[in-house]
This record gives sequence, structure tokens and C-alpha cells, in this order.
Amino acid sequence: MKLTDQSSQQYRRLWWFASRGLAAVAAVLLIAAVIGAPSGLQNLFNGLAIGGVYAIFALGYTLIFSILRIINFAHGAIFTLGAYFTYFLTGAAVGFNGLLANQKLPFGLPFPLAMIGGGILAGLCGIFIERVAFRPLRNKGADPLLTLVSSLGVAVAIVNIIQLLVGAEIYSYPRNPFGEMPAALNLGNFGGLTARPIIIRTIQVIIFGVSMVTVVLLTYFINGTKTGKALRAVAEDATTSSLLGINTNRLILITFFLSGLVGGIAGTLVGLSVNVSGPYFGINFGLKGLAVIVLGGLGDIPGAVVGGLVIGVAESFVPSEYVAYKEAIAFAVLFVVLLLRPQGLLGRVVVQKV
Amino acid sequence: MEVFLSSYGAAIVQMALAGVLALSLYLPLMAGQLSLASPGFYAVGGYTAALLSTTVFTGYANGSYPIPLIVVEMVIAGGVSALFALIIGIPSLRLRGIYLALATIAFIEILRVFALNQPWLGGAVGIYNIPQPFFSATRIEYLLLALPLLFGAMFFVARLERSRVGRAFIALREDELAASAMGVRPTYYKVLAFTLGAVLAGMAGALNAHILNTWNARQGTFDLSILILAYVLVGGSRTFLGPVIGGAFLVALPEIILREIAGAPGLNPVIATFLRDGRLILFGVLIAVSVFFFPYGLITPELFKRRRKKPEKVTVEAAKPTPNVRGGNL
Amino acid sequence: MSAEIMLEARNMTRRFGGLYAVDNVSFEVQRGEIFGLIGPNGAGKTTLFNLITGMTPPTHGELVYKGENITAKRPHEIAMRGIARTFQNIRLFGSLSALENVMIARHIHTKSGVIEGVLGLRPAPQEERATRQRALELLDLVGLADSAETKARNFAYGDQRRLEIARALSLEPELLLLDEPAAGMNQSEKSSLSEFIRRIREQFNLTIVLIEHYVPLVMGLCDRIAVLNFGQLIALGAPEKVQNDPAVIEAYLGD
Repeated sequence: MKLTDQSSQQYRRLWWFASRGLAAVAAVLLIAAVIGAPSGLQNLFNGLAIGGVYAIFALGYTLIFSILRIINFAHGAIFTLGAYFTYFLTGAAVGFNGLLANQKLPFGLPFPLAMIGGGILAGLCGIFIERVAFRPLRNKGADPLLTLVSSLGVAVAIVNIIQLLVGAEIYSYPRNPFGEMPAALNLGNFGGLTARPIIIRTIQVIIFGVSMVTVVLLTYFINGTKTGKALRAVAEDATTSSLLGINTNRLILITFFLSGLVGGIAGTLVGLSVNVSGPYFGINFGLKGLAVIVLGGLGDIPGAVVGGLVIGVAESFVPSEYVAYKEAIAFAVLFVVLLLRPQGLLGRVVVQKV
Repeated sequence: MEVFLSSYGAAIVQMALAGVLALSLYLPLMAGQLSLASPGFYAVGGYTAALLSTTVFTGYANGSYPIPLIVVEMVIAGGVSALFALIIGIPSLRLRGIYLALATIAFIEILRVFALNQPWLGGAVGIYNIPQPFFSATRIEYLLLALPLLFGAMFFVARLERSRVGRAFIALREDELAASAMGVRPTYYKVLAFTLGAVLAGMAGALNAHILNTWNARQGTFDLSILILAYVLVGGSRTFLGPVIGGAFLVALPEIILREIAGAPGLNPVIATFLRDGRLILFGVLIAVSVFFFPYGLITPELFKRRRKKPEKVTVEAAKPTPNVRGGNL
Repeated sequence: MSAEIMLEARNMTRRFGGLYAVDNVSFEVQRGEIFGLIGPNGAGKTTLFNLITGMTPPTHGELVYKGENITAKRPHEIAMRGIARTFQNIRLFGSLSALENVMIARHIHTKSGVIEGVLGLRPAPQEERATRQRALELLDLVGLADSAETKARNFAYGDQRRLEIARALSLEPELLLLDEPAAGMNQSEKSSLSEFIRRIREQFNLTIVLIEHYVPLVMGLCDRIAVLNFGQLIALGAPEKVQNDPAVIEAYLGD
């Protein structure tokens, strides 16, 4: 029984326009401030590059959360795995430590293919995690908290398997992975708009481009394909969807694959930017991803993208004398958002039923 | 005995401290709050003791630091942690389930980055040369402090469970709305449970600062959060004995694998290497597996009741699997 | 009738989105009466209970209890003022024993804190003994004294309803709100329920508001009845008067 009320609907529409309008004004003011500030545009570009990676990484959390209402704490480990898989698929050798010391694949893929391959392998690991850590507990009807712990257990195992096999050393990808390119692009000073010329590392452009392509492909998959629509139906209401004949378990597997895929690609992209710094590579990133999804609203896909970009840009605007505190920005944002707007930036309030 | 102590002394002390930390997470959980903040308070407690013993209570030769001063530090550390808990808890305990857990993760991360960048906390190096009350290398003497702390905490929680305040906590865990309809103030008791847990974590941190001899921002991070959560859930979250036994078990496990199983004579060297270097893999797998096979944890209240009286009559309602933890809507 | 007014609802309204769950409802409950609240499913009866007990804030309207405005009070503040309730979809503390369930509701009548409780200092031991004693008496009253140690979730449905009443009485309320106390009870339990409700009213000096679908129970038991339909109060008065009200007949028989 749903009685609609003319005035309240009008009020809500008004509020919708007003809030979007305010957001737009705020955005314009922000952009003006950014451009006006010394090295503002430079920071903005830097922030967008890393923010894009945050976004796709957080999408991996969000996809699973939207279906299962559970946070997959092994997602950081998947991120690490993706970075390592890409490294080995390029044909590079293992370092001097670990059981696989000095081993390498008999072939080497060009970097873009290796990156996709690394993502796919990470996605397969996602499926594996779903089968061993999530599905058994789900079938038993266990408390979601237990699933969280079991995914943590799997993450601990994965991190230590990596350490056992390939050691804890730093791995770096080949130079110029995308062929000969200038190291940086000089965008000039926009006709005097900025004080100094804007210089962007080529790698940042690539990272941002790859993340955005990933976002677009994923959005297309979710909104434009039959499987994607089924996925959204399950996210909306799992019970009804399974009554309608949607194979929930298969969709959950697909979700874990996609989540692993974007997580693995995110790992590779960060590895491109700062090297793969050992088996614990993904832990801090994993935590930061949590901040992103809360900012965007748990389970909200556009929210994860916006949240990632916002946190990336916010970090890049930390003044250089406080750069040591940069790592805390995401968590400060997380804390404040939780206290003020727990439903996330784009989310709506859900009335709690007594 | 000598050999046993030299290889296990430090581990036994850490088993006791793990029990205290597990109880510090168990207390808010008793009131239905999934808080992962214990490592934060543990870090605060450790820094408090490290600062006090290196800047205030100075002038004692190493090995002769008075034990009563450590007790004083532990009390102060508990108080400082309680203060932090009030500041963090009052705003954030409005949050439920995973949201609270995420807020507490944010707290420990902010604290870590802050500590890392404060010169008066020693920056990345931390505070070192924290004075020792004992000369021994085995650290086993620290049991003189760790065991009373553990037993004190166990006594505290056990008695609390059977008191008016403890019942209010449990009522909130079972059904917050019904509890408030019975006159229980939800916010007050949630903050109280959170703060009591913080005091325990702070005291454990203060003691461990002396045991480890040094304290830095790597103590009390998110890794420890998940470890403590595993102590509680593997041990069992429905009686205070669960977390204590879970903590002792999970601290002992890697040590036992390392020293006993991997070191067993006649073991295939490949397996021995795997057990030594890959023991944390086994550890992770065991956590995942134990959650599956013991969803209520190793220790459940029923374990004790069954011996005392005949089993309760079982109805359809009781036969349904019921979650053993109500962390909220995760 | 110039009896003392216990509870007064003035224009109570609660909107969920576009739906008026409770729409401009006003009534008075007098001290000592048994006040029935009936209406078809979804009429807003439980929402009204949630408004009275502070679990749902009203969109607008006022609530006055014994002369005090309690509109914006939180559930525990309302409980402290002597309003207790049971729940339509039983909300016992499932993994606790019947005894502990009833003991918890003594919360506001006891005051020992953490330290007294843990160390067994005054007044904790005395309070504990008295609380336990009182809880056992109440369990005896509802006929569950023999299973005091049984977990609440292991009781049969009808017994759970009675345990909820014992828990509510343990709060020592002056106003007791019963949400469908007869639901899930068998015929013989239903017929003894009336007698039981009257008995506790006398024994504890209660004013009782009850929601009930089982019409014979309501008609035989209540002094006055309010009828809700689509959130609106459509009739209010003595049972025989309400029974013959055309608006009520329309609400129950019409679509």
C-alpha cells in the first residue's frame, strides 16, 4: 500500500534540484579555487591520476558489497596478486628469494596484454576466494561477521604464500611498458592561467586513461548487458531474484571475478606508478579503499568512482610541509563522512523499520 | 624446563597479553558493538608507558626498574586510553555494525600516521631503551605482571557479565530497541563498554612497551585489529573464556608449528621449510577453516551448562542456526 | 467522568514518505482503564505504540503523559517515566534465560555501577538478590517459574508472549502497552488472558492500552475502544457503541 502525496513529491523534486544545484555551484567554486591556486591544476591532475585507481579498486569492494552486503577483506590481497601476475606475465624473472627464485615464464607478453592477463588471473583468484571463504559459510547461513573473518584468513594466507614463493623484495615493471614515449607531457601554462607550466608524467595519463576505460566498460556491463541487469536485480533483492529464476550463485561468481579483475588492474596500475613493494603492497591500499567506498556510499557504484576521485584529489592538495600526513587524509575523510553522512555522498537515507 | 622457557618464555607472556587484548574487543562486543579500535588504545597505552618511563620516572639502572612504577604506568595508560575512548566513542557509537568497525579502523590509521610524524613520540623510530625491571632474556618474569593483568581482566569481565551493568550490555547486544524500551540507555552503556575495553587495551600496551623495550607506530595497527578479532571469534564470543583461550591458542599456534612440528627430527626437509617459512599461511587457513567448523567459536557457554544440568528442551525455534555474534548489519 | 488523564495524544501524525501511517490522531486515556486499539491490518496501531514509546519520532503532534510533554523523549526516558510495552513481533533477549530477561527490566529501579557490580560492594549484592526475587515472583505470576533458567528463544510462542508481559511488569509501569497479547495463543489461553489482564490491572494499579485483533477479547475486556483505519481515528467510545458505528462496520467489511 503506497499512498502518494502530491506536495511531498513536489518538495522532494525541489530538494533534488536544489541539492544538485548547490553541488554544481560548489564544484564551480572549487574548480575556480583550484585553478587560481599556485600549482592547483598540477595537483588536480596528479590527484585525478591516483584517484582513478582508487576508484576502480573501490569498485571491486562495492560490487561484492552490493550483492552480498559483506566487505571482502581479501580485496587488498587480490590487488597485490594482480600486480605480481602482471609482472610475471611480462616474462620478468623472480628475484633471489623465495621458493621460485630466478624462475621465469618461457614467454613474455607485451605489457598491456600482461596487465589484462594479470587482471584475469586476479579475477580467477576472486572466484577461488568466493568458493573457499564465502560460499561455504553462506550455505550454512552463518553470521556475516564470520565471513569477514574467513576472508581475512584467506588474505593472510595469500600474502604469506606470495612471500614464500617470491620473497619480500621490491619488483619493478620494465621501463617504458607502452613503448618509447616521453617521460612527461608539458601542457604549458594555459595561456598564463597558471603560474608555472603544468607537467604531467606520461604514466599518470596512462593510469588515468586505463582506469576510466575500466570504469566505462564496467558501467556498460552492468547497465547494458543481460547479465549486468540480473546483477542489479540481485543487488536490489536477492530473494525475489532467485524466485524469478536468476541463478544467484553464478552471478555471485561473476561478481567476484569482476571484483578481482578491477582489483588486479588497480594493483598493476599502482605498481606502474610506484613499483610493487612486496607482499604487503595491498594492505594500506585495501584500507584506503574502505574509505573510498564509505565516502561514496557502501554498495553504490557511481559513488565509488566519485569517492575515489575525491580522495585522490584531496590527497594531492595536501601542502608539501604536511605531506607526511597525506596517508591520514582518506581516514580523516572516512571518519567525518561516517559521522555526518553515513549513507555516503550520493546515497539517500533509508528509513529504519522498527 | 630451562630450554622450554628460553624458547617459549616470550610467547607465554604474549599469550597472556593476547587474552587481555581479546577481552578488550569482547567488552564492546558484549554490548553489540563491533569495534576494531583496541589496537589504537593499545598503542596509546604503550606510548604513555614509554614516555613516562623514559622521561618522568628516570634514574633507574636497566634491569632494576621498579615493578610498582610499571603498575602506576599501567593505571595511567588505562586512564589516558579511557579519555581517548570517550572522545572517539561518544560521536562514533551512534554508528552500527560495519560502519562502526570502519570508523574504528579510521581511528587507528589516523593515530598511526600521527604517531609516525611526532618527534616527541620518536617519529618512525619510536621510543627505545624503555627500562627493564628484569635482566632475563626469556622475558618469562614478565608473567609476574602479565598474569595478574590477565586474571584481573578475566575476573572483571566474568563478574561484570553477572551484574546489572553487564546485563544491560547483553540486552543491547540482543536487541537494542527492546533494551531501550526496558529503560537501558543505549548510548551510555555502549560508550561505557567501549571505554572499559579501551582501559584493558591501554594497560596491555603499557606492559608490552616494557617487554618489547621499544615502542613505535608499527605497534597497534590494523593487522593487530584483525588478529584480535580472530582471537575472539575463533575462541568464541559468548563467554569471556572464549577470547582468552582464542588469544592464547592463536599466539601459541605459529610458535608451536615453528619450534615443535617444523623442528621435529626426521621430517622431510621440504615440509620442514614450508612449515617454518609458511607457518602464517597455515595460520590464515586455520582461521578460515575454524570459522567454518566452529561458527560459535571453540568455547561456548553451552559447554559448561551441559555438564551441570540436563539439556534444555529443544523447540523448532532453537534448532534453527542462530548467529553467534550480532555485530549488526554487516 | 472526571477521572485523571494518564496519557493524552494531540494530533499525533507520522508520515513515511507519502504514506500517513498515523494521521492526526487525538485521544485521552484515563487512569485505571483498559483502552483497546483496533483496526484493520496496516491501520497504524503499532506505529502509534512506537510513537508513544519514543521509538518513532512523530512528524507532528504532541504526547502528554501525566501532565508532562513527552513528545521528543527517547525510548529509555519514556520507560523511566513508567510506560512499558510488549511487541507485536516478540522481542525478547533470545539467548538469555527467562529470569535474566525479567531481571534486565529492573534496570531503572537499581543503581549499582561497574565497580559495585564487579567487586560485590554495596548495594550490588542486596540489589541483585532483590532483583532476582522480584523476577522470580513475576515469572510465577505468568506461570513460567518452573522454566526460569530456560533461554527465552526456546519457549513456545504463547509462553514468549507471557514472558514479555512479565518483563514489562518488571519495569513497574503505570501505563502498560500490550501489542496483540493474544496472537499465537490457543483458545484456552485466550480465554484466560482476559482474566489475567484484569488481574494485573488490579494488582499493579495499571492503566492498560492494548492492540488486539481477537474481537471477543477486546469487546469483553476494554472499557473504551479506539478504531483506526488508514491512520485515522474513525471511532472512539464504549465497546457497544463502537461495535454499531457505521464507519467501523464500513472499515471492517468494506474494501
